[in-house]
Amino acid sequence: MKLIDLLRMSADSLFKRKVRTILTVLGVVIGTTSIVVMISLGIGMKNSMLESVESYGNMRMIEIYEPGRYSEDSEEEVLRLDDALIDTIYSMEHVELVSPVLEVTMLGKCGTYEAYLWVRGMSLEALEYLDIPFAEGGLPAPGDSLQLIYGNGIIGDFYNARTGMYDYWEYGTLPDVDLYRDTMYVILDMDRYYMAGSTDENGQIIEPPKKYIVETAGVVAGGVDEYNPHSYSVYCDIDALITQLKLAFKGQAIPGQPTQKSGKPYNEIFYNRICVYVDEMENVTEVQSQIQMLGYETYAEAEWIESEMQQMNIIQAVLGGIGAVSLFVAAIGITNTMMMSIYERTKEIGIMKVIGCRIRDIQLMFLLEAGYIGLIGGAIGVGLSYGLSALINYFVGGSDFGIAKLSEIPPWLALLSIAFAIVVGMLSGFIPSIRAMKLSPLAAIRSE
Amino acid sequence: METNISAAYRPVIEVKNLYKIYRIGENKVRALNGVDFSIGRGEFCSVVGASGSGKSTLLNMLAGLERATKGEIIIAGEHMETKNESQLVLFRQAHVGFIFQSYNLMPNLNAIENVALPLTFQGVPKEIREKRAIKMLKMVGLGKYVLHKPGQMSGGQQQRVGIARALVVNPEIIFADEPTGNLDSATSLEVMQLMQKIVREKQQTIVMVTHDNYLAGFADRIIHIKDGKILKIDNNKTTIGEAEYNEEQSILQ
Repeated sequence: MKLIDLLRMSADSLFKRKVRTILTVLGVVIGTTSIVVMISLGIGMKNSMLESVESYGNMRMIEIYEPGRYSEDSEEEVLRLDDALIDTIYSMEHVELVSPVLEVTMLGKCGTYEAYLWVRGMSLEALEYLDIPFAEGGLPAPGDSLQLIYGNGIIGDFYNARTGMYDYWEYGTLPDVDLYRDTMYVILDMDRYYMAGSTDENGQIIEPPKKYIVETAGVVAGGVDEYNPHSYSVYCDIDALITQLKLAFKGQAIPGQPTQKSGKPYNEIFYNRICVYVDEMENVTEVQSQIQMLGYETYAEAEWIESEMQQMNIIQAVLGGIGAVSLFVAAIGITNTMMMSIYERTKEIGIMKVIGCRIRDIQLMFLLEAGYIGLIGGAIGVGLSYGLSALINYFVGGSDFGIAKLSEIPPWLALLSIAFAIVVGMLSGFIPSIRAMKLSPLAAIRSE
Repeated sequence: METNISAAYRPVIEVKNLYKIYRIGENKVRALNGVDFSIGRGEFCSVVGASGSGKSTLLNMLAGLERATKGEIIIAGEHMETKNESQLVLFRQAHVGFIFQSYNLMPNLNAIENVALPLTFQGVPKEIREKRAIKMLKMVGLGKYVLHKPGQMSGGQQQRVGIARALVVNPEIIFADEPTGNLDSATSLEVMQLMQKIVREKQQTIVMVTHDNYLAGFADRIIHIKDGKILKIDNNKTTIGEAEYNEEQSILQ
C-alpha cells in the first residue's frame, strides 16, 4: 500500500469519529502544553540567571591575582603578574585571549566639573574583544598617547568643583560636560594633589601635581541610567597608560606598584590583574585549575554559576516531570481510544484483510492514526504554550523580579515536543495496532 | 490424444481429503469430514446445503480464512495449507475476489473508492485504480452511481458494488458467500445473471455458497453437501476433458 493512501485512510477514520478524536487530542494538547510550559519556565529562569550574571562579567573570563601573602616581609619569592605569565597562559589550550589589567585612580577635570576616575588599562586587543558598543568615537589606535573610553554612566560621577554637588545625583540634571568634545585634564599623582598647599618635612610648600590633557577615544552607547557591563568603566590602552604613568612619576614609585626592599621601584610595571578569556564556558574550570597550579589566585564567574546551573537543571527536570504526568495520562487516553476504535472496526478490519490488505499495512494504519492524534495534539499544544508563555511573561515580566522573560520557548523545544507527542501517540497506539493486526479475518467478518 | 484432452481441463481449485474438526468442550464436531472435488477454470460452481452442513466452512478454507485440520487445498497451483497469514493475504490480493452476503462495503467510502479498495491495498496509483473502478461499476450497471455512498444505495446496488470490488483486481477465482441472502427474489435473479455473465465473458471461476437450491441451479455445477460430506455433484454443463482428467487422477493415486 502506498504511504499516501495509508496516511489518507488513517486521517479519514480519525475524521469520521470527530468527537472522540477531539477529546483524545485535547488530552494530548493538555499534556504537551503542560510539559512545554513547565520546561519553558525552567529555560526562562536559567536564561535570566545567565543574563544577569553576564551583565556583571563575562562567563568565559578568568581573573588572575597575585597570591595572597601572610606578611609583606616574607622571604618567599613573590609571584608577580607580568608579561612572562601572560605568555605562559597564552600557550594553554582553550585560551582565546589574555590581557593584563592595570587599574589607576585619577582625577578628571573638565571645566568646573571634576570626577574621580577608576581607569582600567587593558591591551588593545582585549578592548576590541570586549566588543564595546560606542555612541561616539571608538578604540584608540596603537601607539596613541593616553586616550580614555568612558562608560555611559560615568557622566553622573562628575561633580561641580565650586559647589561640591553632584548635579546628577542631587538635582537629576546632567553635568555640563561633553565627554567626547570637551577638553579633559587628569591628575595622576593623587597623593600630591591631596597634600598640595601643605608643607613637607623640609618646610617646603608642596606644589600641586601636574595636569595632563587626555583625549577621549570614545563614549559607550546608552543613557546615563542604562546599564551594561561597560556603563561605569573607564578604559584605556594599557601601553599608553604605562607610558603616561612613567612620565608622571619620573623615577618615583608609581602608586599601587610594589617596591624593592630598598624602597626603590622595579623597572618593570606589574599588573593588578590578568584577564583570561576561554573559548567555551565548559573549559573554564580546566584552564582555571592549570593557572592555579602555577600558584596564582583565580576567580571566574563560571565557578559559582556551574553549581547554580546544576540546581536549575534539577528544577527544570522536576517541572518537566510534572508536565510529563499529564502527557502520560493523555497517552493512556490514546491507547483507550484506539482500543475502542478497533473494537468498533473489527468488521472493517476483517473485510480489509479478506480483500487483500496486508497485515503490516493494517498495523501501520492504526499506528499512523495514533501518530496523528499525537501530531495534532502536539502542534496545538505547542501553539497554546506560546500563548500561555506570552501571558506569563506579560503578567510577571512587568513586575520587579529583574527577570525579562520568565518563560521562554526556543524553536528546538517546540519541534522536539511535537516530535515527542507523535512518538508518545505511536507508542500508545502500538498495543492496539498489534491487536488489530492479530484479529482473525473470519471472526472479524462474522461480527455484526 | 487423451493427455491433450485432459490438458484442456486445468482445475483451478483442487480439494483432496479435506477435514475440519472443531472441538467444543469434550465433543468433536466434524464440520468437514473428508471432502474431495476439483473445479475447472471458467466454471460457475455452487455449494449448496442446509445451515450447519459445513458449506461455509468449506468456503472459508478455500479462501484461506480458516485452517484445515487435515487434507490439501490447491488453488491456482498453490497449496493453501502451508501458507502463513501474510502469505495468504498476498495470495488473496493476487488471485481471489470476495463477495459477501452483507456486502461489507466501507460505509464512509463512495462506490468508486469501495471498488478501488483492493487496488489501493495493492499499491496501485490513485488515477489508475479509479479509472479501473469506474469501468467495473459501468460493467455492473452502476455507471450513474459512482459517487454514491453505500447508505444511499439499495441492497441490490450495494451488492453490485460488492461484485465490482471483487472483480476489479481481475482475480482468477471469486468466492461468494450467500451473495443474495439479503436480497429480494427479483434482485437476486439479477445478481445471479450478472454472475453468470462474468463467468462467460471473463473466464473467471466462481464458487458460490448458498442454501437455496433454486439459486444453486444457476451454476454450471452444483455440489450438494450435508453433514460435512459431499452428497452428490450435479453437472449442468459438462466441461470438456474433465471426466478424462478425473480418471487420470484416480489412476495416479
